[in-house]
Amino acid sequence: MSSEPMLFAAQQDSRDVEEQTVDNENNAQFLIFNSDGLLFGVNVEYVVEIITNHAITHLPMMPSYIRGILNLRGQIIPVIDIRLRLGKPCLDECITIVLNVNGTQVGILVDSVAQMSSIPKEDIMPVPAHSTQKLISGLYTMQDGNTMMVFDCVLLMEH
Amino acid sequence: MDSILEMYLYETESLLEQLDSIALAAEQVNTFSQSNVDEIFRIMHTIKGSSAMMEFTPLMSVAHRIEDLFFIIRENGMQIVSEDRRGDLFDLFFQATDYFRNEVEKLKSNEPLSADIDNFLSKINTLVSKIQGDLNKSSQNSEVAAPIPATSNESTLPTLHPDYPYSILVRFDQDSGMESLRAFLLISAIREICSENDFIFTPSDVENNADSSDLIVEQGFLIEFRNFDEREHAIHIIGSSGSVQSFQTHDASESPASIQEAPTLPLEPAVPAMEVIEPESPTFHPTLEKSAPPPASIQPSSNKESFISVSLSKLDQLMAVVGEIVITESMVTDSPDLNGLALDNFTKSARQLRKLTDELQDVSMSLRMVPVSSTFQKMNRIVRDMGKKLGKRVKLTLVGEETEVDKTIVDGISDSIMHIVRNSMDHGIETSEEERIANRKDPVGEIILSARHTGSEVIIEIKDDGQGINYERVLQKALAQGLASPDVEYSNREITNFLLMPGFSTSANVTEFSGRGVGMDVVKKSVDAVGGILTISSEPGLGTTTTLKIPLTMAIMDGMKVSVGSSIFTIPINNIRQSFKVSSSDIIHDATQSEMIKCMDSFYPIIRIKNLYNLDFGKDEIEDGILIWVESGENSYCLFVDELIGEQQVVVKPLPTYVNTFNIKNYGITGCTILGDGNISIILDIANIFLASQ
Repeated sequence: MSSEPMLFAAQQDSRDVEEQTVDNENNAQFLIFNSDGLLFGVNVEYVVEIITNHAITHLPMMPSYIRGILNLRGQIIPVIDIRLRLGKPCLDECITIVLNVNGTQVGILVDSVAQMSSIPKEDIMPVPAHSTQKLISGLYTMQDGNTMMVFDCVLLMEH
Repeated sequence: MDSILEMYLYETESLLEQLDSIALAAEQVNTFSQSNVDEIFRIMHTIKGSSAMMEFTPLMSVAHRIEDLFFIIRENGMQIVSEDRRGDLFDLFFQATDYFRNEVEKLKSNEPLSADIDNFLSKINTLVSKIQGDLNKSSQNSEVAAPIPATSNESTLPTLHPDYPYSILVRFDQDSGMESLRAFLLISAIREICSENDFIFTPSDVENNADSSDLIVEQGFLIEFRNFDEREHAIHIIGSSGSVQSFQTHDASESPASIQEAPTLPLEPAVPAMEVIEPESPTFHPTLEKSAPPPASIQPSSNKESFISVSLSKLDQLMAVVGEIVITESMVTDSPDLNGLALDNFTKSARQLRKLTDELQDVSMSLRMVPVSSTFQKMNRIVRDMGKKLGKRVKLTLVGEETEVDKTIVDGISDSIMHIVRNSMDHGIETSEEERIANRKDPVGEIILSARHTGSEVIIEIKDDGQGINYERVLQKALAQGLASPDVEYSNREITNFLLMPGFSTSANVTEFSGRGVGMDVVKKSVDAVGGILTISSEPGLGTTTTLKIPLTMAIMDGMKVSVGSSIFTIPINNIRQSFKVSSSDIIHDATQSEMIKCMDSFYPIIRIKNLYNLDFGKDEIEDGILIWVESGENSYCLFVDELIGEQQVVVKPLPTYVNTFNIKNYGITGCTILGDGNISIILDIANIFLASQ
């Protein structure tokens, strides 16, 4: 008998998930992080996990924004410093967000991670044509009035 | 690629390999034995079936026709194909395997199959009807009736002993060698299940007489039993033992029946040719059933059942996990938390764990090892085809086929071996036999392909007894192409190196097989890519030997950990000759301020890792650090590092692909490994560091 409430709970859960997926058709979940005072949002589809205090091994002869490689449970993952990638001075204390971009795992170093946010896709505005901003594919004004820049993971992998 | 297609491709490829080796062996004796024909028939049937299932209609149709062709041969024996047609038959057969192979390649690269098979089909049909024509002619001649099921093999079947009516004729794999020993092992196994007096075997002196091997090769190994049951047991043993190619059972009481059956056969082929082409037609079915091979003849597939095929990616995964375990194990046993504690039991268990992980590592590595034989066997085909085209008679000798190498390495070098064999065929072996005879050589050329283990390496040698490298001509060509400078005296060894340069070709006229100038440099690159070394040596007039020295596996290697500043690098032990401390007075500077050091009467350049990689930290004074004398192929030099940390077996991990897009390999960084403390050490590539420093 005891399995019945459990079953019920599981059904409830799956319904919740269903509701969410229905919701997701118009909305996208974004992980919002901060790098040098700018707010970026990365689609959670790309996000694998967030790690801190991982030793990064420096790789010689690489562009400076590639801080090196780290060992994530036996996987070797390159780490890109977003500040350096955007041409800004780097910070010592950082958080690494591990992304999976079309099968390639890559870590990005950011200042801090703020929150998760569900954003209606149609509210994301295009970047002005002449913007010199790198790695950005859209803009979105959040409820608190701040502007979130949509971080383009595919652009990140190009160099 | 979905898994069904993958299975199909894998299966078809291995079947094609089997077909090729059967046909090559058969061509030597210019006939297909009955067991060959059965085997080919079976394989074609499988290909037909699986192609039909995958809806590859053209493949199915071709397989179908070949099956028809061999059906006729199976029904009527090989003598139905007259001597002058056999060449056609073999050529057609090889064309067919080539066709399948091409199509399989297309499937692999997702290209559409070629729909135009009519030409090929009509070729098969022509041959079928020719054979059919011969058949009809001969069937009128009643005299051919007698030896129908007999092929050259079966006709030599020894006479049967009356007291032992149940017999088995065992044939071992072609070229398996030591047939007498294999036969003896079989006998020993059979002795365990049945008493000495209940069976006899021919030749009976397998135990003491090694010469009986030849007899077994020729006639097979005959075991005769008193009782039916004992033979049944023996069949199990024979079926499960390795290197048995086929075996045939024979009952003395049944033999009159099978002989009786034979004369009725030649009357049947009066069926019109059309029906043979479509054996599915109902009129043909009765024939098929009536003349199906005697049930006593068994094709053993039993020794296949003890193998399973596993996808390489799973083995890679296993290897990765084992690598993790090895690392984690040292993380646990070397944990800093244990410092200063006396833990007897822990140390004991840790030692046991180390032993087991070592074992696990060995086993998982051995899973990836495959014999080079399949690669070597392919060369038979190339030598055959090129020999025909170029009009050269060449014998290919394979040595050490059973040598095992990591699968990825075999795949990496098989094209290279093919290329070298082609070169030997094209440039090595003399064009005319007169030339060979004039040089007191056997008119038939020889290429020896050999593989052997030496410790951590496998050495593959491709040796021909041709004309050797014409150093003069190579040098002329190198000068003409601007690769060599006219003011320099080149040694023969240096001249040989020109052969490995991109764009070099001595062949005046480009042939179908070689001489396009994309060749040896590509070969060298792919050998380099698996961490191997390529050397060519040649004796003018006597032949050329190309040697590939390749590591057994790339996944795990012995490395020396060195530190430079805060970075830890790993240098493959194989590359290290010596390490030593020097004082600044030993250093010699040249005009460009490059540093050199004299050791063992030679001068070697010094490369400082810190300067090469623009590291922020690391020792600058030569007295504070240490020099490591390294060598890779032609390059020998000294690396300056802070200190040696120690030797360790490391699991090589490739660098992330994203990082590789920055051409980091060209700076001598090939991979990395995870150290006991979870940190990463970069593995240095000695050859590329030297190039990067130039």
